[in-house]
Amino acid sequence: MGKVNMEELLNCALCPNICRCECPVLQVTGREAVAPAGKARLAAMLQKEQLDWDEEVLDAVSHCLSCRGCTIHCPFAELSLCDELINARLAAKAGGARLPQVEPYLANLKNYGSPYGQKNETAVCGEKGAEILYYAGCTSMANNPASIEAARSLFSKAGLSYQMIDEDCCGYPAEIWGDEELARRLAEENLRKMKESGASTMVTGCPECWLTFTGHYPEWGLELPLEIIDAPAYFLGLLKEGRLKPGRADMKKVSYHDPCIWARAAQKTAEPREIINKIPGLELHEASSSGEKTRCCGGGAMFQLSYPDTAAAIARRRLAELAEDAAIVTACPFCREGLLQENRQVLELVELLDRTC
Amino acid sequence: MSRVKTILQQGKVKQAVIDKFRENAADIVGADNISSGEIDLLSTCRDYWPISSIWMLEGAVPALPQLVVWPNTTEEVSRILALANEKKIPVVPYGEGSGALGGAVPLQGGIMLDLKKMNRARKLDELNQLVTVECGMNGALYEEYLNQNGYTGGHFPQSLRCSTVGGWLACRAAGQFSTRYGKIEDIVVSLEAVLSDGTIFSGRSVPRAATGPRADLLMVGSEGVLGVITAADLRIWPLPEKRHFATYTFDNLADGLEAIRKFIRAGTRPAVVRLYDAQETGNHFPELGDKRPGLILLFEGAEPIITAEAGVVDQIVSGQGAVDAGPDFVEHWLETRFNVSAASRLLQKGAVLDTIEVTTNWHNAHSTYQAMQKAILSEEGTMMASGHWSHVYPEGAALYMTVVGFPGENKIGYYKSIWRAAMKACLDEGAAISHHHGIGLHRGAWMEEEHGRGLEVLKKVKAALDPNGIMNPGKLGLEEVQQWEK
Ligand SMILES: Cc1cc2nc3c(=O)[nH]c(=O)nc-3n(C[C@H](O)[C@H](O)[C@H](O)COP(=O)(O)OP(=O)(O)OC[C@H]3O[C@@H](n4cnc5c(N)ncnc54)[C@H](O)[C@@H]3O)c2cc1C
Ligand code: SF4
Ligand code: SF4
Repeated sequence: MGKVNMEELLNCALCPNICRCECPVLQVTGREAVAPAGKARLAAMLQKEQLDWDEEVLDAVSHCLSCRGCTIHCPFAELSLCDELINARLAAKAGGARLPQVEPYLANLKNYGSPYGQKNETAVCGEKGAEILYYAGCTSMANNPASIEAARSLFSKAGLSYQMIDEDCCGYPAEIWGDEELARRLAEENLRKMKESGASTMVTGCPECWLTFTGHYPEWGLELPLEIIDAPAYFLGLLKEGRLKPGRADMKKVSYHDPCIWARAAQKTAEPREIINKIPGLELHEASSSGEKTRCCGGGAMFQLSYPDTAAAIARRRLAELAEDAAIVTACPFCREGLLQENRQVLELVELLDRTC
Repeated sequence: MSRVKTILQQGKVKQAVIDKFRENAADIVGADNISSGEIDLLSTCRDYWPISSIWMLEGAVPALPQLVVWPNTTEEVSRILALANEKKIPVVPYGEGSGALGGAVPLQGGIMLDLKKMNRARKLDELNQLVTVECGMNGALYEEYLNQNGYTGGHFPQSLRCSTVGGWLACRAAGQFSTRYGKIEDIVVSLEAVLSDGTIFSGRSVPRAATGPRADLLMVGSEGVLGVITAADLRIWPLPEKRHFATYTFDNLADGLEAIRKFIRAGTRPAVVRLYDAQETGNHFPELGDKRPGLILLFEGAEPIITAEAGVVDQIVSGQGAVDAGPDFVEHWLETRFNVSAASRLLQKGAVLDTIEVTTNWHNAHSTYQAMQKAILSEEGTMMASGHWSHVYPEGAALYMTVVGFPGENKIGYYKSIWRAAMKACLDEGAAISHHHGIGLHRGAWMEEEHGRGLEVLKKVKAALDPNGIMNPGKLGLEEVQQWEK
């Protein structure tokens, strides 16, 4: 896993926080310590041993959603502040610092392979050995099994066989909470199971898992035994092939919330819109900040577990930008969970599609 | 635990007094809105004064506060100030820390009053073309809010994305489109503020009134030394119908300045007027080369008006020998105008850099540039001293010098020397020592030369409004700061 890149970190630490207007954590807390350059300054001081790792410092550098909002205005193309902060957290953990509130979730990951403390074995279904493997991710399993049902239903409607395995967590939560060894163990376990499944393609419903598989595993030197495709692109493909035929939706208007990872890490803003536009009679409302300029729902980097109040406040801020008279559609289990407030109707894209096909 | 050194700390308030204050303040803002945590103190103790960046690289900060307090309402600001005043605890208002002169450094410890939670737009008054906005609102989010409602605030400092409305007012900020919309002091119609004893007062948002000096507008440019600006009524404009771009180059700077003087005198008001010396022209627009000064212009508003304005300007600048370079350079400027990445890179390479903006009249516009440039370049270690004019008025314009030097070990000594040289040249030429960055800590040493006996008057105002001297001590040149002499 990465080591802190001091030059990039200092570029950020010396910046006047140009992106602060796009940092949701700063905007809801008002704390300079968690401003983008504020966190970089603390991380740089730690690297230079001007500060010691302790809970307070680790807490500040953990106040990052990995939402990449800061990249919208960042002049440093090589800098990925959120990744530098992950590196800082790995160093903190290695140096003995602990965030008490995440320890139970780390224990869950160790014991159950899911931060939510439940075995994902119950997921095993479909046809053993099928070409397509659907990887739902722990958050969908814990919070929105309906989205998994919807995906399975879509495979059936498209006449495709698929399989689901007893997934382990992709390892992302362990990484962002600084437990490098655990992240790697989970990743290796997953790779073994993927290989054993015999599938050639894995469809991923969760953007955090997708990014971990496609971005982080190769960085950790791990090779994927199958091709990975994200759920929006995959189901759009089925629509284009005519395997799925949407009818009218039972609603008139939806407001699409771009999940940060699809929008900014994967540049996948077109596919979800194409899917929505293929549903007859459904109007798409664009939020004031949308596409690659989307704003985080507060659910990035496991904030719903580590900082639930901040996550909820960030979600409320985002809700104000999504049309009040429309159902919210998103393509991420964390976003759905976060935006489910203020009596708003929130659907995952697969759920919307399944309702119309 | 921190091993971070403080360099300018002038003392601190007794811990027992701070502890007692904290107990009482928790009843006002809630315990969650107060912190004495080391990382909060370290993170809220400085602004974007280049010296703070240099010290940061060396593991030091200028000075540390003892508490950070985040009020949510004007009422809370009032009660916090009254309590601090009673206990004689220094209070430094804090926006987003983009100030360029150490204005937000808590020299005597005490309280950083972080105003970012006061970030609401209270009222949009479309009929009277006004918005009431709280002081802690971020500039970019303020403009976004207005744009969503079909308006613009017309105020775009380069720090738009990292500064607050309150910070703009406190420092008399200027935006890049100021030639059309004015500086913040032209945009503000009234404001609400709190004095050190907790008194809340505000002005009325009438166009003009012959009702004596305006108490509320006294706070504009007061940089936190007179009280806290909590909200303001600002002018807004409908989003412009159209924009027109133009770029010209000149044989020399004097011709460029004369052309600008003449088209402003003729009554035209391009929103953006920027005349770069040849070096900056080459840096920003390599395709224009670095031999001729370049002028970029952006007009915006109703189409017939800006078409007519652009025509008048074109005629005048052509008469002054300008060569038309087309509109594309303005597009490029619009895309890159907020990019300040060079500073981070240069600082890491051991550079000392700063920007020194002053105000000239037309009669001394060119000579001030020449004198300042010569003075700065004569300081050993200077690599670059370039300049441009922006923010134009019938009587003159702002001159903005950029300085980069590699002085080796003695960075602070070099920094002070270039400033001494630049300020002397500026004052000798009869220009004013700042156009929009303000005074803060560092420029305070030249306030007496700037104001003469006027500074005594300012000191009396300060003594009357803040008798215990708790508001942002050591700033605006009202008191001597021995730890930081020129
Ligand atoms: C990259 C960069 C570009 C810049 N470009 C410009 C520019 O184009 N034009 C320009 O004018 N300036 C510019 N500045 C300077 C700076 O952004 C302005 O001075 C800005 O107005 C400061 O706002 P702030 O919220 O960051 O204030 P801070 O830095 O937090 O505070 C500045 C001073 O004002 C006081 N203060 C802050 N808020 C209040 C309040 N509500 N009531 C009373 N006192 C208060 C503080 O105590 C301090 O003394 C630039 C700075 C940077 C770093
Ligand atoms: S992420 Fe980029 S824009 Fe934001 S503070 Fe760091 S360097 Fe500046
Ligand atoms: S990734 Fe998101 S939360 Fe983290 S610093 Fe950037 S904007 Fe803030």
